Amino acid sequence: MIRFGSIDIFWTSLFLLLMVGGAFWFYRLARRSESDFFLAGRGLPWWLPASSVFSTHTATDTPMWITGVIYKDGLRGLWYTFFSAWTAIGAFVAARIFRRSLAYTQAEWQSLRFSGLGAELLRGWMAGWQVFMNMFILGWVGIAMGKVGELVFGWPVWVGLIVPSLITAIYTLAAGYWGVVMGDFLQGIVAVFAILLVSLVGVVAAGGPGEITGKLVELGQEWRLDPFAFTGVSDGDFPMLWWLTMLVIAVVGGFGMGTSIDWYVEAQRIQSAKTVRDATYGLWAGGAITLIRNAFWAVSILAFFVMLPDIKDTAVSELGWFRLGFELLPMGLIGVFFGAILAIHLSTISSHLNLGALYFTRDLYQRYLNPEASEQKLVVVGRWTTAVLLIGSFFYGMMMEEITQWLIFALWLMSAGIWLPNILQVVWWRFNAWGYLAAWMANLGVSWLVVWILPGFNLLPELPDHIQFWLLMALGACFFLPATFLTKPEPMDRLVQYYVMTRPLGWWGPVHREAVRRGLIEETKKESGPVTRSMGIRRSWTPEAAQEWTREDWIAILLSPLVYTGLLFGLVQVLLMQMEGFALLGAAVIGTLIIYWVIDPKLKAVSEEFEAGQARFLDEVEARSRWEEA
Amino acid sequence: GLATLIGMSIAYVASFVGLGLAWWSYKKRGGKQ
Repeated sequence: MIRFGSIDIFWTSLFLLLMVGGAFWFYRLARRSESDFFLAGRGLPWWLPASSVFSTHTATDTPMWITGVIYKDGLRGLWYTFFSAWTAIGAFVAARIFRRSLAYTQAEWQSLRFSGLGAELLRGWMAGWQVFMNMFILGWVGIAMGKVGELVFGWPVWVGLIVPSLITAIYTLAAGYWGVVMGDFLQGIVAVFAILLVSLVGVVAAGGPGEITGKLVELGQEWRLDPFAFTGVSDGDFPMLWWLTMLVIAVVGGFGMGTSIDWYVEAQRIQSAKTVRDATYGLWAGGAITLIRNAFWAVSILAFFVMLPDIKDTAVSELGWFRLGFELLPMGLIGVFFGAILAIHLSTISSHLNLGALYFTRDLYQRYLNPEASEQKLVVVGRWTTAVLLIGSFFYGMMMEEITQWLIFALWLMSAGIWLPNILQVVWWRFNAWGYLAAWMANLGVSWLVVWILPGFNLLPELPDHIQFWLLMALGACFFLPATFLTKPEPMDRLVQYYVMTRPLGWWGPVHREAVRRGLIEETKKESGPVTRSMGIRRSWTPEAAQEWTREDWIAILLSPLVYTGLLFGLVQVLLMQMEGFALLGAAVIGTLIIYWVIDPKLKAVSEEFEAGQARFLDEVEARSRWEEA
Repeated sequence: GLATLIGMSIAYVASFVGLGLAWWSYKKRGGKQ
């Protein structure tokens, strides 16, 4: 329980009014059409999707679980948060391909990449799963907010679950995705301010950076300052094999779509950007801000640790960052802090409400129930679905309060088993809808065998999760590779249509040659005319040359994960006043500028070329969504 | 184990409902596209 004065009530109310009012203001724009209600008309400059990626990514339980791992593991715990770094490569590969597909959702993308019955089954499957997933996430973060309300004000859990969500529903129902991104932008500013303020207050309370590191040495806990404090190659709490597996999942995952559970949310942000270039920068910057956030949190948790090093119960230590805010801030600022916690919560709720409604409206209602629905009708269905999802999430939240962690584990199993197919569908022309469906179906049985049944009969030891990942991948491949090769490839007409529109990376040789043969794209090898280069990097691009994947793309792809790592750990060291941190952070900033210098001319050319053809492509996609073969 | 089974089952039920809807709709349209 905390003391909440009238000035605190004033600040919290003012923040709420600004955030809800500012988002509601855009309701006139949202009611125009389906693409306005769900994608803000594909018209957003990069900084709006970027702030939305960050705000949606930050939920009420995020500072709790991150505090938990840093308190237990020190700075090496930051690697648990590095799964979000899929945006490092994802921004330059998956985002470009997805934005060019013009698909509203991942389910729709699959019906453009694949064809026939297999593609439709996949789309229905994915849409049903995502409607459920968004309701699940709403219940999950709603319960987390309920617990914060219980801790801070002594409210029953249902108050925090239901009341903030109803406030969010006001603008999410009225203003759709326009309200979501504008709300996310305002809420993102408030959240960043609070995270910086509380983290710095925590560091000062512990006596400053020098005192924190000195105290850790004194406690014999110096290993907590080492991000590479491995407990061995394969044994202990923090084995090197876990770290390598995490890096593969996170970094290589950027070549695929759906390799991270965040992909489905970020895909909507990617598609809402006004150009391919804005989509790339939006996703990259959103991921970078998220890692910078983690650096501030980590240092303040170390401060919390040196002040209270003996907390054994994770449920207590998880609240460390909230306690820094509520116990150290003066009257007045506590209201600001609670306003920021609400901001963090509202932005996550609004995004998942709108995304769940999108999967139902676009992929199930419009595609399978009423393909001829008018734009106005689709907006009405979107609003009704938002309301139903909201109510469903209340029931689900109350029902799953006790078993959330096992549901999250089930989610990990689902995403581990289809990690490789999620990459193959993007980079390999031969992979087909039946292979992908087989991977999903096999995953249900295989994960049960590996995790419970075989260990239950002592036929297999209980494996750590990073070993389970590789085993699930290998066993899954025993099903999806035969399923792919025993069925036909997708029809060449469909593959060529998809290839010309999205120009994917990877093994697409036969499709590329067919597209050239049909005269749909030019063979770039015969390029004539001067090409300006500077230090080997191409500075001017013809539209056709910019479509190819070249040296410039690979420089961005390889540098990007290194820059992310430098930003995260460089900033941590700077905040702890360790001199090498300034060099690391400086290198990361220079790396960012190099990526921009190398890739920007190309992204501009890609965007201009694609925008020239976007209207025609949109007509094709919309005609196809009404079952009229384009 | 039971809790995870229930959690995964609900997810798969939702997916199968979507898949069934797609199947029905595709067949209704005579399997074109």
